[in-house]
Amino acid sequence: MRKPNSLAQRVLLFVAAAVLLCAALLAFSLQRSIEQHFAEQDAGELQAIAVSLNLLLQQQAGLLHAVDETHTAPAHQHGQLPQASLQQVLTGHHETFYLITSSDGHPLYQSAGVDLTPLLKLGPALTQITPIDLQSYQQQGRSFRGAVFAGDHGHQIVVAMAMDFHLHYLHLLSWTLWLSVCLAVALILLAAWLGVRQGLKPLAELSQQLESISAQALETRLDEQLVPAELSSLVKSVNQMIERLEQSFAQLSHFSADIAHELRTPLSNLITQTQVALGKERSAAEYRELLYSNLEEQERLNRMVSDMLWLAKSDHGLMTLQRTQVDVRQQAEQLLEFFELLADEKPVQLALTVSAATPCVVNGDRDMLRRALSNLLSNAIRHAEPGTVVELSISEQAPSWFMHTPAHPMLWLSVRNQGALIPAHLQSRIFDRFFRADPARQRHSDGAGLGLAIVKSTAQLHQGLVAVQSDDQGTEFVLALPSK
Amino acid sequence: MRLLIVEDEVKTGDYLQQGFREAGFNPVLARNGLDGYHLALTEHFDLLILDVMLPDLDGLTMVKSLRQHGQLTPILLLSAKDGVDDRVRGLESGADDYLIKPFAFTELLARVRTLLRRGQSAPAVEILQIADLQMDLLKRRVNRGGEKITLTQKEFALLELLLRRQGEVLPRSLIASQIWDMNFDSDTNVIDVAVKRLRAKVDDGFAVKLIHTVRGMGYTLDLPDA
Repeated sequence: MRKPNSLAQRVLLFVAAAVLLCAALLAFSLQRSIEQHFAEQDAGELQAIAVSLNLLLQQQAGLLHAVDETHTAPAHQHGQLPQASLQQVLTGHHETFYLITSSDGHPLYQSAGVDLTPLLKLGPALTQITPIDLQSYQQQGRSFRGAVFAGDHGHQIVVAMAMDFHLHYLHLLSWTLWLSVCLAVALILLAAWLGVRQGLKPLAELSQQLESISAQALETRLDEQLVPAELSSLVKSVNQMIERLEQSFAQLSHFSADIAHELRTPLSNLITQTQVALGKERSAAEYRELLYSNLEEQERLNRMVSDMLWLAKSDHGLMTLQRTQVDVRQQAEQLLEFFELLADEKPVQLALTVSAATPCVVNGDRDMLRRALSNLLSNAIRHAEPGTVVELSISEQAPSWFMHTPAHPMLWLSVRNQGALIPAHLQSRIFDRFFRADPARQRHSDGAGLGLAIVKSTAQLHQGLVAVQSDDQGTEFVLALPSK
Repeated sequence: MRLLIVEDEVKTGDYLQQGFREAGFNPVLARNGLDGYHLALTEHFDLLILDVMLPDLDGLTMVKSLRQHGQLTPILLLSAKDGVDDRVRGLESGADDYLIKPFAFTELLARVRTLLRRGQSAPAVEILQIADLQMDLLKRRVNRGGEKITLTQKEFALLELLLRRQGEVLPRSLIASQIWDMNFDSDTNVIDVAVKRLRAKVDDGFAVKLIHTVRGMGYTLDLPDA
């Protein structure tokens, strides 16, 4: 995958495109409206000239008529209008021209300088000149526009006006407009760049703060007050992440400390008793006794290391489950038969209650589930008051004290005993490795404090869960497995 | 019984050789894979014990190659890897059993004896016996000195196991696995309790004790040394 463009680049690109588009639109419409305005002005002016010219022609026709009646008209006025009076109409209008033709298209009068005959062919004769009717044409390098006005007596009155100065003005205007657009875009881009740079500054500061965090300094938290609102959720998540890391690290270092402690005690026992034994000559029986005693410690160590390895493998996803359909009830009955002997010695009574539809089948690793259940049972028997009942129950219902509702239907295996209460603050840690509710019971002949951790890992490997509840009535451990 | 042990780790090799010699076997030790392979192809052995991790020729390849050469001697693999996959691969290669290091020597001994016993079909006995103790497998009855002993089902199975393998030291893990199908190291002393109860029924009141604790190793059913 390509590395994404830098944020500044992206913002600048978008801003540039937007500003350019807006400015171009503005400049374009401004130019159009000015052009339109000029055209309207011109059309009005030309209309006025054409109407005046028409009026003159009418007056002349009236005069002719009168002359015909009286026969007293001066000879020079016969059929002809003086050029001067026509020219007078143009006075006050800037560079305007006319051409008047008779109804058969023969030119009658014409202003000097420009030949307007091409306009005759460009459009029809009108009685009202509007901006749309204006026709433009070029002659001798100059631009004109004009229209043909229909006179009263079949005359065609062509009026036109030079538009070079308009064009010159428009040209200048467009040049100025585009120059200012470019300048504005450049200015806005600069401002945007500065803004982005300023805006990203808190990120740089954050990254500086983050650099100071290491495994040794996980107590650092990012200051939410120092960042803009947009970043505070990011900072919150990062802080939560650091907190989780800190917890994991703390657990890990406790774990390492616990391992060291659990291993050191038997090892130092082994070393001391061997050294003492070798201190002087002893009988074969005494040496044998030493070896037996050593063997016991070594086996304990071996078991502990195996359990730790098991847990480490399950943590790292190296455990492959040999999944089959396991009849939990059948397994429970077999395990109870196994533990019956142990229970008799204590003595406690073992009881099985099944309140789920049989067969209670789950999909899982049979040996792993047997081991988990066996750990729960041996734990329950170990901590039970003599003369009480240890109850194993299999149910489709969660125990009443269990607050959460799991996403899938579960089969609930619960092991209940009557014994010493586990204080509430220790209940959450009871599934931790090497955790013992009663530190005084350390180094007893029973397990290394990994049994419940193995139960928890087994549950996790099966997408199940474990929980514990303890009160004056007794202690209940629950192992829930997804049922089908 | 002639055993070939292929093990490159010096200490392990030495104690295996000594252990098997003292258990009444005739062990030959090869300290690298090629020597072992050569010996296995040229000499007769009743059983091969191969370390999976050998520097020159690994155990799995050796098993495959031996089987391809028509070598049918039972093979037991020793390995420090205990993944299910490793176990499966070991057995698929043609080995007969797979034991994970570190193991108890008694466990290895028990498995070797099981492998050696396999193949020679056990005589269809109806009655197992030691000294004045008799077990009738068909009628499921046990007598000692003419007196009937009442056993639970599991006690019967346990005594049968001890009787069938009399003279051998059976480790607790083997007993747990054979009688209760508990295939993992349990930190409980259920087996001790079970044997204690069986012993109370079988040995109490008799001068000659048959069930013995071998401290640190397990239990055995045997006549006491004269």
